[in-house]
Amino acid sequence: MKKIFYSALIFASAFFVGCTDLDEGIYGQQVADDFYATEAGVNAALANIYNEVRGDWNGKGIAGADRGWFDLNESSTDEMLIPRRADGAWDDNGIWRAMYQHTWTGSQEFIGNTWNWLYRSIFKANLAVELLTKANADPARIAEAKVLRAYFYYMLMDGWGDVPFYTENNVTVDQIPQTPRAEVFKFIESELKSNVDLLTTAKGGQFYGRFNKWAGYALLGKLYLNAQVYTGTQRWADAIAASDKVINEGGFSLVPTLYDNAGAQAIFGDRLPDQEVILAVYVDALTAPRNIIGIRTLHGPHANALFGFSGWNGATVHQDFINKYDDADKRKDQWFIGPQPGGVSYNLNISSIDNAGITDGARNAKYLPVAPFVGNESTSNDFPVYRYADILLTKAEALLRSNGDQATARALVNQVRNRAGLANLTGTLTLNEIYDERGRELVWEGHRRQDMIRFGTFTAARAFKAASADKYKLFPIPAEAISNNPTLKQNPGY
Amino acid sequence: MFKLLLKNLPPSHGPQGKRLFQKSSFLVVATVFLFLCSGLVQAQQRNVSGTVTGEGNSPLPGVTVVLKGTTNGTSTDAEGRYSLTVTDAQANGTLVFSYIGYLSKEVALAGQSTVNVNLASDAKALDEIIVVGYGTQNKRDVTGSVASLDEKDFNAGPITNPLQQINGRAAGVNINQVGSEPGQAPSIRIRGITSLIGGNDPLVVVDGIQGDLNLLKQIPPSEIASMEILKDASATAIYGSRGAAGVVLVTTKKGKIGETSIEYSGVASIETIAKNYDLLNASEYRAAATARGIENSYDFGGDTDWVDAITRRGYTTTHNLAVSGGTENFSYRTSLTGILQQGIIKKSNSENYIARFQGTQSAFKDKLALTFNLNTSLLTNDFNNGGRIGEAINRRPTDPIYVENPLNKDTGPYFIDPNGFNYLNPVARTNEIVDGDRTNNLFGSLRAEYTIFNGLTATGFGSWRKTDREYQNYISARTTQENARNLGVVPANLTGAERDLYIQNLPDGIATRELNSSDEKLFNFILNYKKDFGNHSIDVIGVNEWQQQVYNGFRASARGFTVDSENNLSTLQSSDPTLFQAGNITSYKSDRTLASFLGRVNYSFMDKYMLSASFRRDGSSVFGANNKWANFYSFSGAWRVSEEAFMSGLDVMNDLKFRVGYGETGNQQGLGPLNSVRLVNNDGTVFFGGSVIPNFSITQNENRDLRWEVKKMYNAGIDFGFFEGKLSGTLDGYYGLTSDLLFDYAVPQPPYPFGTIKANIGEIMNKGLEASLSYALIDKENVGVTLAGNVATTKTEVKELSGSLNGLPLETDYVVWASGGTTGVASTNNAISHLIIGQSLGTFYLFKHAGVDANGNQIIDDLNGDGIISDGNRENPDRYVAGQALPKFTWAFTPSARYKSFDLNMVLRGAHGHKIFNARRATMSALGSFGQTNMLKSALEDGINNLTYATDYWLEDGDFARLENLTLGYNVNTTKFGAIKNLRLSFTANNLFVITDYSGIDPELSTSGGSGFGVDYGIYPRTRSFALGINATF
Repeated sequence: MKKIFYSALIFASAFFVGCTDLDEGIYGQQVADDFYATEAGVNAALANIYNEVRGDWNGKGIAGADRGWFDLNESSTDEMLIPRRADGAWDDNGIWRAMYQHTWTGSQEFIGNTWNWLYRSIFKANLAVELLTKANADPARIAEAKVLRAYFYYMLMDGWGDVPFYTENNVTVDQIPQTPRAEVFKFIESELKSNVDLLTTAKGGQFYGRFNKWAGYALLGKLYLNAQVYTGTQRWADAIAASDKVINEGGFSLVPTLYDNAGAQAIFGDRLPDQEVILAVYVDALTAPRNIIGIRTLHGPHANALFGFSGWNGATVHQDFINKYDDADKRKDQWFIGPQPGGVSYNLNISSIDNAGITDGARNAKYLPVAPFVGNESTSNDFPVYRYADILLTKAEALLRSNGDQATARALVNQVRNRAGLANLTGTLTLNEIYDERGRELVWEGHRRQDMIRFGTFTAARAFKAASADKYKLFPIPAEAISNNPTLKQNPGY
Repeated sequence: MFKLLLKNLPPSHGPQGKRLFQKSSFLVVATVFLFLCSGLVQAQQRNVSGTVTGEGNSPLPGVTVVLKGTTNGTSTDAEGRYSLTVTDAQANGTLVFSYIGYLSKEVALAGQSTVNVNLASDAKALDEIIVVGYGTQNKRDVTGSVASLDEKDFNAGPITNPLQQINGRAAGVNINQVGSEPGQAPSIRIRGITSLIGGNDPLVVVDGIQGDLNLLKQIPPSEIASMEILKDASATAIYGSRGAAGVVLVTTKKGKIGETSIEYSGVASIETIAKNYDLLNASEYRAAATARGIENSYDFGGDTDWVDAITRRGYTTTHNLAVSGGTENFSYRTSLTGILQQGIIKKSNSENYIARFQGTQSAFKDKLALTFNLNTSLLTNDFNNGGRIGEAINRRPTDPIYVENPLNKDTGPYFIDPNGFNYLNPVARTNEIVDGDRTNNLFGSLRAEYTIFNGLTATGFGSWRKTDREYQNYISARTTQENARNLGVVPANLTGAERDLYIQNLPDGIATRELNSSDEKLFNFILNYKKDFGNHSIDVIGVNEWQQQVYNGFRASARGFTVDSENNLSTLQSSDPTLFQAGNITSYKSDRTLASFLGRVNYSFMDKYMLSASFRRDGSSVFGANNKWANFYSFSGAWRVSEEAFMSGLDVMNDLKFRVGYGETGNQQGLGPLNSVRLVNNDGTVFFGGSVIPNFSITQNENRDLRWEVKKMYNAGIDFGFFEGKLSGTLDGYYGLTSDLLFDYAVPQPPYPFGTIKANIGEIMNKGLEASLSYALIDKENVGVTLAGNVATTKTEVKELSGSLNGLPLETDYVVWASGGTTGVASTNNAISHLIIGQSLGTFYLFKHAGVDANGNQIIDDLNGDGIISDGNRENPDRYVAGQALPKFTWAFTPSARYKSFDLNMVLRGAHGHKIFNARRATMSALGSFGQTNMLKSALEDGINNLTYATDYWLEDGDFARLENLTLGYNVNTTKFGAIKNLRLSFTANNLFVITDYSGIDPELSTSGGSGFGVDYGIYPRTRSFALGINATF
């Protein structure tokens, strides 16, 4: 009996001793090193960059959701005003008023959000470039990842000036020096020049929402147009050349009816026309959210009457901006003024930035919600990053600034004006006319801050805003970024 | 009898059914009594009875009385009385009286019908046997810090969780009940907070089965025989990487050899809200609005007390029926328990039904002991949490609840403010939501203990625990939740009435179902050798243990139904397919494995000198690849001075023992599976290549060195007893240091794609003193008064947060630990409490309030005098350290008294030295939102329009003293009741009063140490309850 028991004991303990396998079961996830070694993984790495492009909460994405890049570049300008309402709504401790009046600091939430988003995107782009190169992928795909990375650096350099710069992920923070704006500019320029031609020339279809060759040249044109701001050196001829690539070879044209039903339907709806829109951000409320620009502008009952959910009663614009529209301008119809469904009537005039009436201010229909919706949290409007009208005005401006042919420049501007139902300009084209035309045409498309800085109007006094210091032409490096990397030098004045 | 009980249970679903149940519960009990009284009285042949007494002729309850050589036996009642039926043939047998701590006595019956005996105490065995890790020990030999509580120490009343019955009963064991939400267990912290994200919940071990605090929910409180709390590292190191936060050992009641016993205990309590917010009523609101010059467009002509409209009277009923018995080789105990709660917020309920069986079989001439345990329970919850109160107090009292012509027909009769942004009607939300879960729990274990030879035993133990939770949530348009109504799209060509009609006919409702299951297995194999060699005695164990936990589940959500009813939960497929969203279907699975080898040696010499050493080696799958195995150990010793010859002359001193110990334990609760590898996860979807495809993304900064936290702890203590044990107590002091502190440390972005990384860097120090005292003031036959209580001080300090990770210096300090909850304050200035190196964990670091200006804006004290108020949540010259969130000391006063058949027990407890940030008050005081929301009356005096910074204005003293429990008991003389052996009636009042300066509804907030603790964001109201209890034994 005892013997049997002892033997059983030894066997039993042997069973238990065997139980020391401590490997973790991996079920729902993939180990990165394994995943990215597959072809599907390499493709996913490229696709993943585009996941960062669409807007979402916490300041992710180019545009669509709030408190990120779009708001930095819009609510700091004369074409978007989010006043505190008399009922206390949009008080938000003055964060929106600080944007409009240029009193932000390094701990401002949108600034940190955008910085973190851009560097996370760059990490993903670096990873994609590395993996695609290692996998000997189609050069067009490698080029696409590189152009995306250049685009993210372009936004960083545009916003912050001298920024940390790195192109390979496996480095420590001390190997990521804060690089002068001009050098970042040079990197973007050379990266675009050597890769843009490798990109596809196809539009729409499987390339909708992606960087093709024309979007690449549009970006290059923008870079040159603002070169003086970035580097102190004018590059007007290069801006014209890059724009010409798009104009002469891209096969784009203005959609004739873009503004014809503005106010009744969205100018930028579910799918943007390939004919005019060079680069779009795809948004679908259900599967690829989100866009809230349209919801944010409409007053509750107005949106309720139209769509069955309440609007946020937030973003509007000062009457000075509306007054720049000619009454014949079809683009003026994108502004809701006066009585609307739901018993709402918008006042054109905004009485105060601190205590505006509930329905003060014109509202914008550019992104009038299109389905599918997710309540009042997202619509499915796509967002235009670059479109043909912008390129026409870019070339016109560069021509004018480089004392080029007036008639060519005027014709370019008139193309845009004619579509809006306006007559040709005939006199001498002035920079101011281009500035206002850009405002009217491209309002709420994320270009205004850059334009105002280039035209020297950004820090000037305007309604509800005193003149602000030059330092506000750059955003401060986020306080958190400095605390985590004390070697970063804060932008002057902050 | 069971049938009868069940038949009397009315259907328990639906509010009406529940109400009925509460009212009729006493009726049920009475019926049961009647039935038992008439049914179980049997014809008797001969009766032997008597009284058993112990020292000082005091009656001894619970003494086992067995007729020698038979299974015929019983035990004594509370008065020491017993009664045994014997056949004529047995009339000349021998009765054996035995009781732990006393010498057994055999008395020949010799035909007597009355046998009274007096048992002499066994000096050596008088000590209690207490449960320690992987074994038991005489309390007198314990070298670590262990709080041992048994049934006589437990709080009475409407107990729904075992922790409630030891609240206030052990020094340094802080049991914290925040609000009175049904089904919500209190939290427990043993000796303060030792971890930031690593988890501070103790390990729970129930009869050898290991688990988390949820395991306690499956144990009927009235079926617990004793609870031991291992407090210091020398006691918990045997649990290695799971021992750092302390260990709660639970031993359940077992069957005894002898006559079958049937026990019933039941409690019914009525609960009301102890304190409400002092809000403006409709007329006060209108007057204040006029005074503030607010247009009356806010006024919808109502007069509503929103809190009153969503609350009701609460009820708690518990029933426990246990049957136990046993023969020479087999004993068992089985029980059925129902714990039923109706919360004071409407539609918040909890029902917990537990059935358990425990059997012990001895075999092979008592060499093999088999213990089998099976426990199954069904826990059902309806959720309406404290958030409902938050919604109700915010609503204007001038809003009506119902309207005749609703704005939107889908929302039913409920009022909605047409101008409101996401206006939610609290009554609609409370009444119409379907939100609840059902958890099926099952666990079982089998222990086989074989005595190989005298002193050496081998034990195999296996347990298996399964839980399956099913969650259901249906949000109809009638809840007035905006995102649940009118889903879908209106065709652009519709206008006017046609359009309105179309909108009204759009689909509504969101249905969600979720299943979570867990499966936890444990095997261990234990060799134990116990032997006395003259003056030496040793106790050695070696254990090999293996545990595996597997978690998996899935969730599906669907939106937009033609008929907006909760029946859609059973037909998710009837939702509008075009409304499917990314993330509507999810599933997961993960596991963790722990393999361990451990051992312990206890040695004692002449019962005077005790030494103990333990060692454990843990390997865990959740540790990083570079750190798979961890070692933990402890040493401790004790010196029983009172046994020394030189103390023999001191009669006043009965017992005096010094203890010291040191141990290292670990904590791996904070490590989830797969924290240490760089993973690619599904991360929503992306539009790429012309269509929406699944997106894969790196979702965390990886750290291959990730490991457990290490807690080193020193403990020294004294146990003493004076004046024949009249005065007894324990003093303990400890110092603990948690190093390799797990935290999500901030890393620079770039190059890291995410702002934080989980790593082991900082240190937390924890030290304190604990004292428990008990003094028997009067101890006579008919009257007794005992004064008892305990005090504990705790100091928890963040020692270090900075360090380096793979050469990267990480500067982490002034980490925001609680923020928000203050309407209007920007996220850049809303931080409330922080982790600051050198300060208490969760230190309030705030702007200083310096008054209110003419515009109603708060004036902030410019502390550094530079003329500007610096923005920012982190280190900031205009913020200052304003107090700590953790109490500096806690105490409980637990006196008891008895007079004849009456007894009185109470728990008065308190906490001191800490502050509470009243974010709820701040939010309810921002007059800038007047016209949109309701306000506290005090807001009008405060006169603050806008909150722009988190200031100390809302910081209040958190000190409190609460009469937690007051119980009056009466033991009914049952000599004439036939089958009823014992009958006890009791009345309990909970939370009779709170003494505090805190202005919120209850000062007891989470002191769990987790992010956000110490801030009153609003809680489920705390109740005051009055309960009647019955305990009966048949």
